[in-house]
Amino acid sequence: MKRRTFVSGILLAATGAVAAGCSTGEGVDLDGDGDTGTTGGTEGATLRVAIGGEPDQLDPNKTSAYFAFQVLENVFDTLVQPDENLEMQPALAESWEVSEDQLTWTFTLRDGVTWHDGSPFTSADVVYTYRRIIDEELANAWRFSAVTDIEAPDERTVVITVSAPSPNLLSNLGGFKGLAIVQEANVTSGDIATKPIGTGPFSVSEYRSGEVIALTANPDYWGGAPEIGGVEFSFISEASTALAALRSGEIDWTDVVPPQQVAELEGDGELELGVTPSSDYWYLALNQAREPWSDVRVRQAIAYAIDRDAILQAVSYGTAEANQLAIPKDSVWFTEYSRYSLDLDTAQSLLSEAGFTGGTLDMLATSDYPETVTAAQIIASNLEPLGITVEIRQPDFSTWLDEQNSGNFDMLMMGWLGNIDPDDFYYSQHHSSGGSNAQGYANAEVDELLDAGRVETDKDVRKQTYADAATIIADECSYIYLYNPSVIQVWSPSLTGYTARADRAIRLAQVGLAD
Amino acid sequence: MSATTEQTAEPTGRLSTVRVLATNPVTVVSAVVLAAVVVVALLAPWVAPYGVNAVDVANALQPPSAAHWFGTDDLGRDLFSRVVVAARVSLQVAVVSVAFAFVVGVAVGVVSGYVGGVVDTVLMRVVDVMFAFPVLLLALAIVAILQPGMATTMLAIGIVYTPIFARVARASTLSVRNEPYVQVARTMGVSGRSILGRHVLPNITGPLIVQTSLSLAFAILSEAALSFLGLGIQPPAPSWGGMLFAAQGFLSQAWWMSVFPGAAIFVTVLAFNLLGDGLRDVLDPKQRTLIESRRRR
Repeated sequence: MKRRTFVSGILLAATGAVAAGCSTGEGVDLDGDGDTGTTGGTEGATLRVAIGGEPDQLDPNKTSAYFAFQVLENVFDTLVQPDENLEMQPALAESWEVSEDQLTWTFTLRDGVTWHDGSPFTSADVVYTYRRIIDEELANAWRFSAVTDIEAPDERTVVITVSAPSPNLLSNLGGFKGLAIVQEANVTSGDIATKPIGTGPFSVSEYRSGEVIALTANPDYWGGAPEIGGVEFSFISEASTALAALRSGEIDWTDVVPPQQVAELEGDGELELGVTPSSDYWYLALNQAREPWSDVRVRQAIAYAIDRDAILQAVSYGTAEANQLAIPKDSVWFTEYSRYSLDLDTAQSLLSEAGFTGGTLDMLATSDYPETVTAAQIIASNLEPLGITVEIRQPDFSTWLDEQNSGNFDMLMMGWLGNIDPDDFYYSQHHSSGGSNAQGYANAEVDELLDAGRVETDKDVRKQTYADAATIIADECSYIYLYNPSVIQVWSPSLTGYTARADRAIRLAQVGLAD
Repeated sequence: MSATTEQTAEPTGRLSTVRVLATNPVTVVSAVVLAAVVVVALLAPWVAPYGVNAVDVANALQPPSAAHWFGTDDLGRDLFSRVVVAARVSLQVAVVSVAFAFVVGVAVGVVSGYVGGVVDTVLMRVVDVMFAFPVLLLALAIVAILQPGMATTMLAIGIVYTPIFARVARASTLSVRNEPYVQVARTMGVSGRSILGRHVLPNITGPLIVQTSLSLAFAILSEAALSFLGLGIQPPAPSWGGMLFAAQGFLSQAWWMSVFPGAAIFVTVLAFNLLGDGLRDVLDPKQRTLIESRRRR
C-alpha cells in the first residue's frame, strides 16, 4: 500500500497548466527524440491526460507518489498484476507453481519480452530488481520479509524461497508498480529517474519538467501493441482548469475532479464519468503515546462523538462508502462491523469513567488533502460538547509526515490506498512492530492474529483471522475508520475501452481514441 | 501644519481638517463605510445570527435566503455570521500589525533622519534590504519559520510594513529638522529626545496618517492572502481569505461562498484606500493650499 503524495493545489495551479494541451490530438509523431532508442512506427492518435501534479521521479522502485505511478503504470510491468477484481493474473510471468510445503515458488517468465531499448528481458532482471529493493532497503522491502532466497536457474525461470507459507506473495509482488521489474543498466546509469526503460505498453519519449511527460506506444509489447500512438501527461492541479480543458477538448482524460463536482458531471452528456468504489480507506488515529489518548475509553468516546454521516457527506458528497473497518464492501475479505454510532451520552459516560474532564486536542490535518481540513472542522464542532477544544493544524504533506513520524500530534486523519491483501490493510499499521504504527498501538493478541494471517493458506480460516484482528483494532480504536472513497475520473467520449479501476491503476494499453 | 493643532488657532481663514475632509463626498462615504465595518466587527458576537462554527452538513451549500442572508458554506455554516466575525479578525490583525509597523518604523525613521550620519546609513541599508523582498514572500518566509496562527500573522505583516513607515518618517524628518524652530530649540540646548518628541513628531504626522490608512488596506489584503495560502488564520476560525480558499472548489456550485467574503475584502480595502486619498488631499500641504484657494473663490 502507499500513501498518496499530492502536491498542494494552489502552488502548482499557475505553473503546470495546459502547456501540453496545445498540441493537436491526432497523429502527432512523438518519435522524434529517440532518447530511449525506441523502435518507431507509431500510428494512431495521442491521448492527452491531465493528472494533478508532477511525479517526483520515474524510478518505480523508489517513488511513493501516486502521480508517478499514474505514468509508470503504462511503462513498466510486474511479474503478476491485478485484474479488475484485484485477483492476480500473469504478466511478465506467464505461469507459476508452489511447492507442496508452500515454501518454494517457481515462476516461468514470458518468452520473447524485450525492453524498450530492444535488449531481451530475462530472469536476471527479476533477480536484480528484487535484490535491489531488499538490499537497498527501499520503501517496499517489507514485502519481501518472508523471502529468504531469489534465484534464476535459467533465463526463463525465477525461484523464490520463503521462510513460511506466504499466501499474499503474489499481491506483494504485483499489487502495484512499485514492484516493477527494472533494467540494471538503466539504474546504474542513473537515467531511470527521468528516462526509464521498461517492458510496458508505452515507452517514455520525452520528459519536460513542469510541462509534459510523453509516452510512445511500444509496438513490440507482449500484450499486443497499443491502439493509440502515445500518451501525453500534463499536470493540472486545479479542478476547474482541468474540467475546462476537458470540455474544450484540450485534454481527453483527467482525475482532477473533486467529489462535489460529481452530481453536476453526472448530468453532463458530453463527458464520461467513472465513479468506482476503491480499496482506499480514510481513518483517524489518536496518539497513544500521549495522555489521555492512551486510555482506550477516551478513544472510544471520540469514536462515539464524531458525526460520521456529516463527515462522509462533506468530504465525498455521497460518493464514498461509510465503513467502520478498513476493507471495503466489494472485497472478498470484507467483514461486517458497526459498533459506533453518534451517541454523545455514551461518549460522555466513557469520558467520566476515564476521569477525563476536558482539554485540548492537537489535530494534524494537511492542506494537501483538503478532506482532512474539512473533516477536522466537523470533528472540532462534534467534540466541543465533550469539553474538548480541537486545535487544527494544516501544514503541507511533507511537514505532515515529519510531524506524524516524530509523534507530534494528538489526532490525525489520513488515508491509505492501493491495498489488496488484508495484510496490506492491517499489518504495518497495527502490529506492535509495524512500520506504519505511528499511533503506537500494541496488543499481543492482535500481533498474534496478524502474524498468523500472514502464513495461513486456508482462505476461510485466513478471512476469519483478519476479521478477528480487525474487530479488536476497531474496538480499541487503534484507528477510527471512517470510509472508503470512490475513484473519480472523467474523460471525453472519444476515449473508448477505458474503465476506472478500484486500485486507481490507469491502464491505457487497450484504449482507443475515436476522431 | 499639524493636524492636531488645527482646530484651535486659525484666524486667517484656514479651514479645519475635519471640515475640509467633509467637503469631499468620497471621503465621507468611505469613512461612514469604515465606521460601519468597525461597528459590525466590534458587535460581531451579537450581530451574527448563528454560531460561527455551527456545522450543519444537512444544510450545506444553501443559496442566500431569509434564514441565511449570505447562504451557507460546504459545512452548512452560516456565511453571514462568518463574514461578520471574520471582519473582526481581519481588522484586529490589520490594526495590530500596522500599529507594530508604525511604532517600530517611525522610531527607526525619525532617529535615522534626525541623527543622520552612520546611524542613518546603517538603518536605511537594513530597510533597503527588507524592501528588496516582495511583501508577500517576506511574510510567507516569516510565517514558515514560526508556526502559522493569528499572532504570527500579525507579526509577519507588521514586520513587512515596517520599512515603509521608516522611509516615510525619515523623509519627513529630514525636511523638518532644518526648520528654524528645530534649529532654535537645538540652540537653546533642548535635548535630542525632547526635540524629536515635541517638535519633530507632531510635524510629520500628516504623511504618517495617510500611510497608516493605506497600510491598513494592504494589511487586510495581506492577511487575506496569507489565510488563502493556509498560513494565516487557521480553521475553523473564520477569515475572509480562508473563506475564499474554501470557496475555490465550489465556484461552479455556490457562487455565494466566494462573492460575499470577496465583497467584504473589496469594500473594506477600497474604503481604507479612498479615505487615505482623502486624507492625503487634506494633510499634504500642497494639496491643501489648492483646496483652500478654490474654497476662497
